[in-house]
Parts: sequence; structure tokens; C-alpha cells
Amino acid sequence: MGTNYFNSLSLREQLEQLGKCRFMHLDEFTEGVDALKGKKMVIIGCGAQGLNQGLNLRDSGLDVSYTLRAEAIAEKRQSWKNASDNGFTVGTYEDLIPTADVVLNLTPDKQHTAVVNAVMPMMKKGSCLSYSHGFNIVEEGMQIRDDITVIMVAPKCPGSEVRAEYVRGFGVPTLIAVHENNDPNGEGLALAKAYAVGTGGHKAGVLMSSFVAEVKSDLMGEQTILCGMLQTGSLLCFDKMIEEGIDAPYAAKLIQYGWETVTEALKYGGVTNMMDRLSNPAKIRAFELADEMKDIMRPLYHKHQDDIMTGHFSSTMMADWANDDKELLGWRADTAESAFEKTAAGDMEISEQEYFDHGILMVAMVKAGVELAFETMTDAGIIADSAYYESLHETPLIANTIARKKLYEMNATISDTAEYGCYLYNHACVPLLQDFMKPLKSDVIGKGLQLNDMSVDNARLIEVNEAIRSHPVEAIGAELRGHMADMKRIV
Amino acid sequence: MVKPVDIAFEDVSVDFDGHFQLHRIHWQLNGGQHWLVAGPNGAGKSALAAVLSGAGDITNGAVQGLPRNVSIVSYEAQAELIAAELKKDDADILDVLSEGTPVAEIIERDTRDKALANQLIEQFDLTPLLNRAFRKLSTGETRKVMLVRALASEPDLLVLDEPFDGLDVNTHDMLMTHLHGVVDTTPTVMVLNRIDERPSFITHIAWVEAGQLTHCVACDDESAMAELIQWLHLKHGQIELPNPDPIDRLPALDPDEPLVQIKEASVRYADNVVFENISWCIERGQHWQLTGPNGSGKTCLLSLITGDHPQCYVNNIRVFGFQRGNGESIWQIKQFIGYVSTQLQWEYRVGTSLKNVIISGFHDSIGLYTKPSDVQKAVADDWLDILGMSSRANEPFNQLSHGDKRLLLIARAMVKHPPLLILDEPCLGLDDMNRRLVLALIEKICASGKTTVLYVNHHAEDKVPGIEHHLALGKS
Repeated sequence: MGTNYFNSLSLREQLEQLGKCRFMHLDEFTEGVDALKGKKMVIIGCGAQGLNQGLNLRDSGLDVSYTLRAEAIAEKRQSWKNASDNGFTVGTYEDLIPTADVVLNLTPDKQHTAVVNAVMPMMKKGSCLSYSHGFNIVEEGMQIRDDITVIMVAPKCPGSEVRAEYVRGFGVPTLIAVHENNDPNGEGLALAKAYAVGTGGHKAGVLMSSFVAEVKSDLMGEQTILCGMLQTGSLLCFDKMIEEGIDAPYAAKLIQYGWETVTEALKYGGVTNMMDRLSNPAKIRAFELADEMKDIMRPLYHKHQDDIMTGHFSSTMMADWANDDKELLGWRADTAESAFEKTAAGDMEISEQEYFDHGILMVAMVKAGVELAFETMTDAGIIADSAYYESLHETPLIANTIARKKLYEMNATISDTAEYGCYLYNHACVPLLQDFMKPLKSDVIGKGLQLNDMSVDNARLIEVNEAIRSHPVEAIGAELRGHMADMKRIV
Repeated sequence: MVKPVDIAFEDVSVDFDGHFQLHRIHWQLNGGQHWLVAGPNGAGKSALAAVLSGAGDITNGAVQGLPRNVSIVSYEAQAELIAAELKKDDADILDVLSEGTPVAEIIERDTRDKALANQLIEQFDLTPLLNRAFRKLSTGETRKVMLVRALASEPDLLVLDEPFDGLDVNTHDMLMTHLHGVVDTTPTVMVLNRIDERPSFITHIAWVEAGQLTHCVACDDESAMAELIQWLHLKHGQIELPNPDPIDRLPALDPDEPLVQIKEASVRYADNVVFENISWCIERGQHWQLTGPNGSGKTCLLSLITGDHPQCYVNNIRVFGFQRGNGESIWQIKQFIGYVSTQLQWEYRVGTSLKNVIISGFHDSIGLYTKPSDVQKAVADDWLDILGMSSRANEPFNQLSHGDKRLLLIARAMVKHPPLLILDEPCLGLDDMNRRLVLALIEKICASGKTTVLYVNHHAEDKVPGIEHHLALGKS
């Protein structure tokens, strides 16, 4: 095992890598997939990302096959079925890796060390190794042979969407990076660009980043706003509603589908639009709640970011990996036992607007979490574009998994890395918000304000609107969503 | 005996999410009656039927006497179920491929009479599909599952919206026989685009037009029936195909080479074979009809040609001069093809305008991601004119009725006068007028000499002059 790569860099290099993120324009991709034409691409792993990326790459005219562990092939496991039902060649590492020009490692983080150690000795001289997440390189300090080019191509959407958008003739936003230590022939960027074209990503927008920026921002986003805040918020809001005498199935439904509904507004028009969906009095209330929570939670967000930067987080987690995931599995079991998790959502109808009107506290939590995560990341030297993607942009995607399967399943489907960080956050954040939660009533969660008089003070409303709209996440968000919309809806 | 169901619509107006309204409906359905709801595409037939199952917001009047247990089979219900299944599939934030809900579970959810369910499963030949994921079924198979589910729930009122669409001849006959057996005890409301296809047990016809119920006719009232039939014989004027984009962007094809050459193709999954050893050569100008029972693999075979089926890479397929699997991209293949199918309609779930849907045919995309030229916009306008949708050019596509969507997707498939036009049951869900319009368009495009047509249908009466070659798939 190597030492933490990030910690081996000088401060100057650290800052340079963290600050690397640039939105690339469509005209930078005129070479299409040429850099990969005729090269043999071998994908390790055939889950949703592996399979769907492979289908896209093949439909773009590239030569794709899959390599799985010998047991997976012998036992005809699901990954073997995924690949062979779709007409791909499947072979063992020994069969395929030595022939590969590009090896695409699309296995879970936890397996990276074992997988890379197994395949690296078999890889051709001068070939390329591609990751979709930089944890192994940056946090575990994996050393790759000098002659091998190391790149990252990470579509910022679930595998099924990567495929669905490609089939429509479009793509999903994608992050690419080249590992500077491993770019012996200077061809890393060309390969990563061609790979992004092959999956259709160039049509939806490509961010040129670095391994370091990807890892440090991805970890921060997933453990705070994305998974952690939604988990903590679900537990607190549910318990508060029960305490306030709200019908339990209603409470469960409001939370399970509420995150998805309010963050859908976020996806379309940022925090501003999400807040604008509330009535004026409710908006002012949510704004004040969010401000209060931001002050309470700020030190926690800082701690998470600091632990990620120093490598403390990853070494703690890797220690748990080495201990058979004892902590992780214990926390997972606790989540399954929570009152929210065990209460089935009712079948009453809740209109889209009601989710906002009755979920003022949830809206405030999303606002607080998105803004804090974004502020903390940018304060730590991560560039605004990255920080936006890893906070606001992905929140609706995670909210979506809660809508489908609640917390236990959300945690089971996100990566183990995200899940571990989510529990760490949750354990700290629930007690932290205890005093804040105490005086709250069902007007902010469960019943709505129920005012007869909706009037507000003009000056206060202007002040609040101004504060919401001038947050830096809104400026970069408007710009990046603009790029997306330009490409998606030209007419 | 028919359960004594008396349903009364008293001056009822219904709103469907603000994009469709039914106006001031007066309708009395009495015990012992079986109704057919008919009318042009987009008139509100399905909407009216759906109100019986509780859809829409009643903004005026009241519906009295609706029974509790109403079963509905419709495109909308089917699409909703499929959308729900697709949505589940997106659940993998990281890396899980969802298998989807198996057919058995979909049926079981609503079953009241297990023995009946089992009998129907047997009759409808669904036994081999029970463990298959619902969303992986073919169009016809999905429809069969919906029917079995509805019938086995022993409803107090059975609402069947185009139940025969997409069914092969055997299944159609069997369903008819089954319905004749249950109508004595189950009041039925059926939506059909073709009055002439109504089953003999139908006692009354409700004619819907522009969101209003304009005629209620008892089938044994001969003069009223004659008047109604006249509606169906409205003539449409002489139609002309709009020109394609005059700037032909397509690479030239070798005139001596067949468009499609499939040699001994097979499609199989780990545990089942869709078809085996099919060879098919399609020469330029050779128009083909493809037939076969539900589940025989028609759509699957076509998707080997379009490149939408992943196993096109492991078969010996040569299309438009490309031997598949040699570095060509799927867009190089699709540029030569115009395509319409029920599956495409389900996949066409993007927020865009009617006009953009037609223009997207120039780019083979679902949704429009490229700036269209003025010529392309003008061609789209011509098509909207033919379809009688000019005034709705900028309305959102996803709020249209099933039939109107289908018409637009047919225009999208034809818009570039593609070398190969694949029409997979294009007339599904179209009323008589529009069906004739589409058949006339197909005939024109066949005669134009530039486009070769591949046509799948079940209805003998939808035969198109000029299509003389025939491939029949059997059940594997």
C-alpha cells in the first residue's frame, strides 16, 4: 500500500490540483472517438455503470469486451449475464488484460486495490488504465507502472441514465481527468476526451478536472449534503412530526417523497427556485431556519472537509474495511431500525405544492446543506464548478433513491464510501441539531403555516430574496445549467 | 345476471392536469348495458373511459353510482405501469442493475380469484413469461398481462380501452370468447377506434368529439346508427408527401448492394431463445410486410436492423454497406432509417414541442439537440398541416393523446424520406380517418421510389398496395 498521494504533494501542487476544473466546449471534441478507434477496450466489472458505458462505447464504434473474475464467469453470476446477454465477449483477466490497449476499471472503490494489483502486471507496455473515481489513486496512493497512462472518466449520473440519454442522441455531464504522474506519452487527455465522446458525455458538458479535485469534492458532497443531510433530516423531521401528533403514514410519505419533490425544483432553478415555490411568509421562515442551521452545522462541515483533506477520513474508513466493515454494517442495521424506516408511507394523496407548503423545514435543510457544502468546498480551494456538481447538482439524484426505497436502501445502493461518510455525519449532526429542533412545531413540518393573512414586510422580503439570489452557488449554477440547457434545448 | 350498476354523469366537466378537458357530459349507463366509446383521435374517448376509473379532477357536476372495483386496461395505464417500472430501474445511484418486477407479481397484485388467474395465464399463454421482468416484454405481451390482470380481479365494471390493439389473431379471438363468457355478469365499457370492430354484446355507442359527448346511440336503433356511420365517411382531400430536406446529407449507397442482409441470425438470452436462424435479404425498392404472433420476435428482428438490439453485434448483419461490429457507430446506421413503433413511443418521453418531434426525425434523436435549418422547420410545418395540427405546433408533445403522438412519430419517421422506413404496427391506436391517412401516406412513400418500406401489422384490412414481399415469423 502506498501513502496518501495528496499528502505527498507540496502545498503549491495541492492547491493547483484542487483548483483544477474547467468547463469544456463542444468544439473541443471535433476529433470524436478517433483516439480510441481500433484500440481494444476491456472493462473490468459489469454492473450498471460498466454495462451501460460499454453499450454506449460499442455503439460509438469502439471495440469493447469485459473481463470478470474467474469465479464470476464459472458461476455465471449476474455480471456475467449482463455482459453476455448483450453480446459482449467475456473473459478472465488472463485472457483479456494482456491484449487490452485501455483497461476500464469500473468496480467499486473497495475492490480497487485488489483489482489493480491483479491486472497491472498483465497490462501491455504503454497501455492505459481508466478509473471512474479517484479514491484508489489519491487516498490509497496506488502506484501505477510508469509506462501506463492513467485517466479518469466519470459520468455524473447513474448507469441507466448514461444509457438512456445516449440512446436519445444526447448524453450526461461527465468529469474527466488525467493523473499527472502517469501520462508518459502525453496522450491522456486525448484518450479521456475520446472516451467521453464515446459515452455521449461531450454533448451534455464535460468538466476537465484532476484526480485530487474529484476525490476531495466527491467525498465532501456525498457525506454532507447528499446523503448525510438527507438522512439526518429524514430522521429528525419524522420524529418531530410524530411528537406533534401528525399521522405517522402521512409523515412517512411527506418525507419519503418530499426530498425528491423539493429538490426537483432545485434541479430546474437552483436554491432560488426551490425557495420561490414557498409562499412569502413560508419562504422567510425557511430562510431563517436555514440560517440558524448553517451557524450550528458550519463547524461540522468544516470538520468533514478537514478530515477529507488530511486523509483522516479515508484512513478511518480503510481501517473499518480491514475490520470486515464492522462499523458500517452496525450503522446500516441501526438505520433499518429507525422509526421513519419502519413506518410505511400512507396512500393519501399529497399534491406537489403541498410537499413544499408542509415541508418548510425540509426545504430549509436542503438550502442549508447545499450552501454550506458549497461554501466549505470552495473555501478549501475546490473550484466552484466542481463544488456545484458535487453538491446541488447531485442532490436530486440521491433524493430520488429515498423516494423509491427510503434510507436503508439509499445507503445500500450508494457506494460504501458514501455510506460510511453518511453515517459519520449523521451521528454527529443529529445531536448537534437537538436544541434547534426542540421548539419547532408542526407549522414548519407536517401542517404548514396555515395563515389567513399572507402579508409580509416588503423590506424583509427584498432582503431575503437578495440573500438567496446572491449566494455564489446560484451564480455558478445558473451558468452551468445554462450550458446544459443550451445544448439540450437549442430551440 | 349483470350486477345492477347504474352510473350517471350529470353535467360533468373533468380536467386532466390542465391539458385536456371533458365538457358538460350527460351520460346514463344502466345495468345490462355494454357501451362502446368511439370518436376521432384526440377527442377524449380514453379520457371519458378513464373517468370511470377515477382519473381526472371533476370541476363541474357529479358522477353517481361508480362501483368501487373498476378495472381498466388502456395505453395510459400500461404506459404508467411501464414508466413506474423504468423509474425503478433508475434507482441505481451506483451500480445495481434492477431486474424489474416479474410478470407473476404484477398479475397477483390485483387478483381476486386465483384459479381464474391461473386459467387465464394458461389461456393467454403467459406461463413461460411469469418469471420474466414485466418491462422486458414485447408490446403485445405487455398488453396480455394487463388484460389478464384486469379480468382476474373480477371487477364490478370492466373498462377496456383499445383492448385488441397489438394482439395477434389467436389472442384476439380468445379474448373475445372470454369476454362473451363474462359480460353477463360484468358490465363493460369499451373504447375502440373502429366502430366496425365492436363485439356483438355491445348495446350502446357513445360518440365523443372535442371533449364532448355528442351522441348516445342504442345499437338496435337503426336510423341513429346510420347517422353515426356517416361521421366515419368524411372525406379527406388529396394528400401530397412533403419534400425531404433538399440538401441531402446522406452518404451515397452502393446501388447494387442490398439494404439489409441478415444471415442465420439468432437472438437468445441465458435461459430463452427469441428466434433462431433467420436469414433475410432486403433489396432496394422491395417493400416487405412482416407478420407473426405476439412474442415471435418481430420487434426484436427489426431492432437488429436498426442497431437498437445489443445482439446485432454477435450476428452476421450487413446494413447499408456496413458489416456490423467493425467500428461503425450506431448513428451512421440510423441516418438511413426512419422508424416508428410502440416502444419508440414509450421511449419518447422528453419535454419538447410537436414541431420539434417532427424535426428530430432529421437527426434520429429523441428530443432535439441540434439547431434546425429553416428548410427543416418549413418541412415540419408541411407535415403538421397534413396532420391537421398546424395550430398546435408549439404545444408540448407529452400531453397529446396516444393517437396524436403516433401520427407525429409517423411523420418523424417519414420526414427525411429515408432509404429504409420501418413501420412497426403504425396504425395502432389510430381512428378510421387517420388510419386511412397513414395508409395513404405509406402507399405514396412506397411509390416514390426512394424509400423501401418494412411494415409490421396484424390487421388484414390494413394491407398497403405495393407491399408484395412477406416474411412470417413463427412462435419459437
